Amino acid sequence: MVTSLHFQVDGFRILYISLTVLLWTLSTVFSADYFGRAGGTRRYHLFSALTLASTVCVFLSADLLTMFIFFEIMSIASYPMVAHEKTPKALRAAETYLAVSLIGGMATLMGLFMLNSLAGTLEIARLKDACAAVAGKPGLYVAGALVITGFGAKAGIFPLHFWLPKAHPAAPAPASALLSGILTKCGVFGVILISCEVFRADADWGIALLIIGVATMLIGAATALFSVDMKKLLACSSVSQIGFITTGIAMQNILAEHGGLAVRGTILHMVNHSLFKIVLFIVAGVVYKGKHSVDLNDIRGFARGKPVFAATFLTAAAGIAGLPLFSGYISKTLLHESILEGIHTLPQGQAAHGILQAAEILFIIAGGMTVAYMSKLATALFSAGPEYDGAKRMKPATAAALIVPAVIILASGVVHALPDAIAGAAEGFMHGHPPEHSVAYFDPGNLSGAAYSLIIGCAMYFLLIRKLLMKKDADGASRFIMPAFKLPDLEDAVYRPVIAAFTSIGAFVSRIAESLMDRFIIPSAIALGAFFARVAEVLLDALVSALKKTLLRPFKRSKFPGRFFGKYYSFVRREAGRQAPEQVARSGFSVSLLLLGLGLSAMLIYALVVIIAHS
Amino acid sequence: MSAILLTLPILLPIVFGVLLTVCKQLGSGPRRVVTISALLLNAALVFAAYFGPASSLTVFRLGERLPVYLAADGMGGFFCALAAVMYLAAGLFSQKYMEHESDPGRFNSFFLITLGMLNGMGLAGNMITLYLFFEALTLLSVPLVMHTMTKEAVAASFKYLFYSIAGSSLALVGLFFVYNYGVSLEFTSGGVLDLGRLAGNENAMLIASMLAVVGLGAKAGMFPLHGWLPSAHPVAPSPASAILSGVITKAGVLCIIRFVFYLVGPEFLRGTWVQTTLLILALISIFMGSMLAYKEPLLKKRLAYSSISQVSYVLFGLFTLTAGGALGGLLHIVTHSIAKDALFLAAGALSFVTGKTAVADLRGVGRKMPVALWCFTLAAITLIGLPPTAGFLSKWNIAVGSLSADIGVFSWLGPAIIVLSALLTAGYLLPISISGFFPGEGNESFPGEGEVSFTGDRKAGALMLAPLIVLAALAILAGVIPKHLVSFFEGIVNAWF
Repeated sequence: MVTSLHFQVDGFRILYISLTVLLWTLSTVFSADYFGRAGGTRRYHLFSALTLASTVCVFLSADLLTMFIFFEIMSIASYPMVAHEKTPKALRAAETYLAVSLIGGMATLMGLFMLNSLAGTLEIARLKDACAAVAGKPGLYVAGALVITGFGAKAGIFPLHFWLPKAHPAAPAPASALLSGILTKCGVFGVILISCEVFRADADWGIALLIIGVATMLIGAATALFSVDMKKLLACSSVSQIGFITTGIAMQNILAEHGGLAVRGTILHMVNHSLFKIVLFIVAGVVYKGKHSVDLNDIRGFARGKPVFAATFLTAAAGIAGLPLFSGYISKTLLHESILEGIHTLPQGQAAHGILQAAEILFIIAGGMTVAYMSKLATALFSAGPEYDGAKRMKPATAAALIVPAVIILASGVVHALPDAIAGAAEGFMHGHPPEHSVAYFDPGNLSGAAYSLIIGCAMYFLLIRKLLMKKDADGASRFIMPAFKLPDLEDAVYRPVIAAFTSIGAFVSRIAESLMDRFIIPSAIALGAFFARVAEVLLDALVSALKKTLLRPFKRSKFPGRFFGKYYSFVRREAGRQAPEQVARSGFSVSLLLLGLGLSAMLIYALVVIIAHS
Repeated sequence: MSAILLTLPILLPIVFGVLLTVCKQLGSGPRRVVTISALLLNAALVFAAYFGPASSLTVFRLGERLPVYLAADGMGGFFCALAAVMYLAAGLFSQKYMEHESDPGRFNSFFLITLGMLNGMGLAGNMITLYLFFEALTLLSVPLVMHTMTKEAVAASFKYLFYSIAGSSLALVGLFFVYNYGVSLEFTSGGVLDLGRLAGNENAMLIASMLAVVGLGAKAGMFPLHGWLPSAHPVAPSPASAILSGVITKAGVLCIIRFVFYLVGPEFLRGTWVQTTLLILALISIFMGSMLAYKEPLLKKRLAYSSISQVSYVLFGLFTLTAGGALGGLLHIVTHSIAKDALFLAAGALSFVTGKTAVADLRGVGRKMPVALWCFTLAAITLIGLPPTAGFLSKWNIAVGSLSADIGVFSWLGPAIIVLSALLTAGYLLPISISGFFPGEGNESFPGEGEVSFTGDRKAGALMLAPLIVLAALAILAGVIPKHLVSFFEGIVNAWF
């Protein structure tokens, strides 16, 4: 029964609510600077507040139904934030965003229906035991996959990530920061709930999720590598980082009891990514305010001579690239460690073992790609470019909004007690246990992972980006170019055509169903009626003329009763000839009386049959 | 005295309606006063009849076993209350709207008289009484459809009449059979069939039930007798469409409920081919209505197709023959009535002010009519069934009921189609709001040049907007505070099973 909402708090929830409130505050502080005197800010802030409220409730919810309710409110309420700019591009992106949210949301709803009927509860605290009782049922996997469709779409997990690199750049920068930093995490929150409660310790689920996570990681990083639009690059990077997080969730499923490191890595990478993205998108917003463009070629040299701007950007960039001494290193190391742990614990020769080995290599490569695309962005911002007039300096509030998260990124990279404490407080949510001994983040083994990524990243930067994706202009300055080949766009190539085909076929079938009555049954009934009337006419007219010739001879002159039925017959025949529904309807009175008559006579015949049979 | 109270909700609107017809020279001011006071008085009377001392009244007898008989029970009381609220909203709205149409007096009088018939249906204590008022409702609502007297309106109203009469003659078949095999025609929760007398004739009774439900389904817009709906709703004036879709389709649903749960009984139909067929018909209507609405360019016609789909949600919920599904169905009656009333009134307000009827012409209308479009959007969200609106509540219950029912493949196919139809509902309603508020230039969904400019000095005014705002608020509130509504319906539903 949906008559009450259930909420609860625990470490993870408090962590994410605090982060939500922090990021919202920072974004709102920046939005005053960003929007300036532009119109429509009242609408923006109204929907921003609605989204904030529903997001907090998503993180607070104690059952999946409550969560779904606020998840849907959040989806709808964030639409006007994406569509804010009202440009055709923004509107199309917002339309895609809304469509994905709704389709995903309805898939989730269907999944919840099934889950509710299978497990008998949607209460998170009771799901684990309830699902263990029905574990292994194919229905449970269908339900889980459906539920995760909506959450995964919001998180930007492949193959439902395609909306994200469109919607995040189209939204105004303060909204992009929240979309990327917080709203994607609502989706991740749902994925975690399903993976940790419904499919607790289910390795098959874990392997499937791992493959999806690695694919997300690589596809996001690859598209980021080829982007020449700063906000698009950041959005693609979000997809990639969500892939890292998904990988962590998957490892938690695969490792089951031993998934402590995976749990910690997942939670910390979520937190870190939120912080990176608030900084990076505010940076993008500042760039856009100054240059009215986020094209990498238009913004060259923007960071020069802006110490605060440059320092905060570099902190977040180093963090997301996973350089030691920044927070991203901690979480990526934990995630990497958990994959290694999986390789050690799983018996060799199993398919899962091979998949894990491949995942480990791809994880390092994706880390390298992160380094490469962030270097590309840094090159753009720091390379020599046209002089920036510098008339509009950053407002102190904006600077503060950049410094606060940047300090946290740096602090948790240096003082490891901080991330350990955060993870320790939150890991109970994912059924994680504290590791037996504290992780030595700076031991050679762990550092080597980061080093490989760094080497791969540098190689990609110098070999791929500098050679293939940059071109010297006539004036000697190098420009970023799009690669000659284009990655196929899932939305235009697959989803839109499929939906269009579905609606066309559906409409065609529905039209047939709709016109069944007006174009087939009614004309047939009329034809049938005409036939009976014809028979009746012939019989009655024969009777009448026989009567006229014999008994009614004295009344011959009078017009009694004439060819009454013949007249009726010709009317019906005329109507049956023109079968347009409007005309059929216009004769409605007589036709309905005719049908009524037919029905009554059928009933009378039935009654006669019954009486005869019984007597 | 208390027995007389039962007749008042039927008589009062009729008397006021006839009064309006007789006094043709009445100015618009007094006419307004008469109509609105009749609607308010009706609401009070319905309240009194339901909460007054329980009583029943035999008006006259058609035969030894055929009394025309009034009684107030929960189901009927709910129906009368629903009609009272919806008529009040549409009635207030129509006062200004109809000023620009010909002969508002005639409209008001038939508007009130149909309300009397609906109250009669709600208060009917047995099937023959219900049937009499049902037929009268059909005949008396034709002038509402025909009001504009254009060629299309006349054609549509004949189509309406034809479908209704064909449907109710089918219903009559079922009625004869129940009369024959039942203890009486008096409504009894759980059914009146005399199983001893029925023995051996179950199949005939099943066929008759099937015909009756399909026939009664004509009014509810259920496939295959849905054809009148997309013709009649768009041509009627907006307040009439709101009533047709919001209340009169529910009259068909009421008849089906009375027939299935109070005469034949759910036990008799459970697991039979009749139940399967009815579930299929309801699902076809759900999908077909949504799909055609999705492709329909005219706003009011789109809403009419949507009604086919949405009323069949109710029917699907009922046909699962489970307490959960039936509860969801009853809740969806409320949801759909409120939301569709609001949508039709909003569509009326939009076309009243801008003169546009096609969806594509309403781009950018949000700047001129923000309140109307906001209400439209909220009602749309309700109809899609997004939380926290009433629509989510009802669809959730229908789906849960369906999944708990022992109806084979339909237990999950039903919710799947409901979810699919919800997506289509979003697809045919939300673009109107979106393009109304965010008229992007060259937006792909609405090819054309820039924003449509709206000229003309007609204003919607408070009398048109107030009912809209109230309905939109109700749609959300019913979802947020559902406790009383749910427990009221649970009381009704639990008696059926």
